[in-house]
Amino acid sequence: MTALVRAEWTKLFTTRVWLGLLVGACVMVIGFAVLLTAFAGNPEADIPAVGTPLYEELAMANVVNVNVLFLILGIIGMTQEYRHRTATPTFLTTPHRGRVVIAKLVAYALAATLFALVVAAVNVATLAVHAGARGAAPELDADNLGTLGSSALALVIYAVIGVGLGALLRNQVGAIVGGLVYLFVVEPLIRQIPATSGAYKWMPGGGLEALTATFQGPDLLEPWQGGVLLLGYGLVAALLGTFLAVRRDVA
Amino acid sequence: MDGAGPVHDEEGVILTAKSPAPDPVRVEVAGLTKVFGTVRAVSDLAFTVEPGSVTGFLGPNGAGKTTTLRMLLGLVRPDSGTATFDGVPYAALPRPVRTVGAVLETAFHPARSGRDHLRVYCRAAGLPVSRADEVLAQVGLADAGRRRAGGYSLGMRQRLALATALLGDPAVLVLDEPANGLDPEGIQWLRGFLRHLAHDQGRTVLVSSHLLSEVEQTVDRVVIVGGGRLVREASMDELRSGADGAGSVLVRSPEAARLAELLRTDGAVVDLDGEALTVTGRTTAEIGGRAFAAGVELHELRSRSSGLEEIYFQLTAGREQYAATSPTEENAR
Repeated sequence: MTALVRAEWTKLFTTRVWLGLLVGACVMVIGFAVLLTAFAGNPEADIPAVGTPLYEELAMANVVNVNVLFLILGIIGMTQEYRHRTATPTFLTTPHRGRVVIAKLVAYALAATLFALVVAAVNVATLAVHAGARGAAPELDADNLGTLGSSALALVIYAVIGVGLGALLRNQVGAIVGGLVYLFVVEPLIRQIPATSGAYKWMPGGGLEALTATFQGPDLLEPWQGGVLLLGYGLVAALLGTFLAVRRDVA
Repeated sequence: MDGAGPVHDEEGVILTAKSPAPDPVRVEVAGLTKVFGTVRAVSDLAFTVEPGSVTGFLGPNGAGKTTTLRMLLGLVRPDSGTATFDGVPYAALPRPVRTVGAVLETAFHPARSGRDHLRVYCRAAGLPVSRADEVLAQVGLADAGRRRAGGYSLGMRQRLALATALLGDPAVLVLDEPANGLDPEGIQWLRGFLRHLAHDQGRTVLVSSHLLSEVEQTVDRVVIVGGGRLVREASMDELRSGADGAGSVLVRSPEAARLAELLRTDGAVVDLDGEALTVTGRTTAEIGGRAFAAGVELHELRSRSSGLEEIYFQLTAGREQYAATSPTEENAR
């Protein structure tokens, strides 16, 4: 299994997809951190002032705004095998296809952990500079580190969900478009519409929100429950993906 | 030849690893059947592939060759039947890449270099990554190894696919239409390479093609399929002797009608068309002798029989339509 995980890393780091996604995630997180800090304390923006605990929680949880890129990382990791037909040599080398999917899940969870730490560090550095300039750089106390850590964990889970989703759908463009539509259209709609907003807390986005931001917004689960729910989605996607990868013909 | 073509000796053969060839492995297919929707792609197919020889797996497009190879390699699940390597199905082989190497399609990530592509599979198979450079040299891609595979020519892609199959130094080599995209020099190189692997090293080589002429000089045995069924399993010698027996002779003569009469009274089957005769059941020597004895002038006398391609065509003729019409046939039943 170690050999298979290393093979997946070799696949990941011998093309530049990872670099593009990581740089993109860093740029995005800097942008969001700057916007958040710039409008902090502005009564029209409804963002708490720099230095308040609420602002700092929001600022630390800013990391999860790049979840879409981590989802795409996982999706590409799995679907590229089908897109470029390397599924054939991959499954010839490892006929136990379940092991391939598990190795991918582990490899991408570990790589995503590394990337999530980088994104978290970039976020903190941006806040230190910008919020520092506006009077109070957030301190890395237990509360803030907790929010930062759970936000980074959420990113890792999204990468795992991406691998599972990719194994499920196999079509790269379809999986990415589907993922984007779900994250930016379906979930926000469900969250907004009163008739369905009750179900939102049980959805991945609801779990994510519960895990990272425990104020405002609709009715949510406890943070730990949100984390477990999100992880559950990741595992279900992974299990389903593994099951299908094992059964389907590779033609 | 491609920009970064291989450098090989005069025989066109690059000798393989110094390590001794692996133990011979016999491939056995029995009762293999696969149905896609209403089309029986492969139907109760059975054949064997012996070590030490190159076996051609022939049939027209759509005959079920690729599906059979994919079932053999555990990529497609058969509806019934078995495909085994010394009695073991692919998925149950303890070290699959060391037993079987397969070239099914040119599959690689275009942004990854050929060398990195090979290293991925070295890692996954637990082989030393140095194998990547060894097989690159073996197929003549050493100079192109660090370039993005997306920029490779068709022939180079085929070579990379072959290199991937050779990573585990396998006892069995399975190749699906490997000559596609190779230039004449590449085809000649592949020919020598496969024969070397089989004859000198005792490996089992199964190579598919839809053209007999393409593999005629390479293979020792043929397994011919049509419409998903076995049409003929024979050695090339057997196939050739069948061709000699079943052939016809073309004769041209200004006295064609008189010669036709003479040959008919001897019991030959003669088809007369102006000055041309097509005679079955007689050799060129017999016809020439008969004409000379009767004083018949001949302008042309040649055998049309020895064409293997013709025999192959006769064996597979009409089989191509089989796949297309089978659903209605099935419904009619």
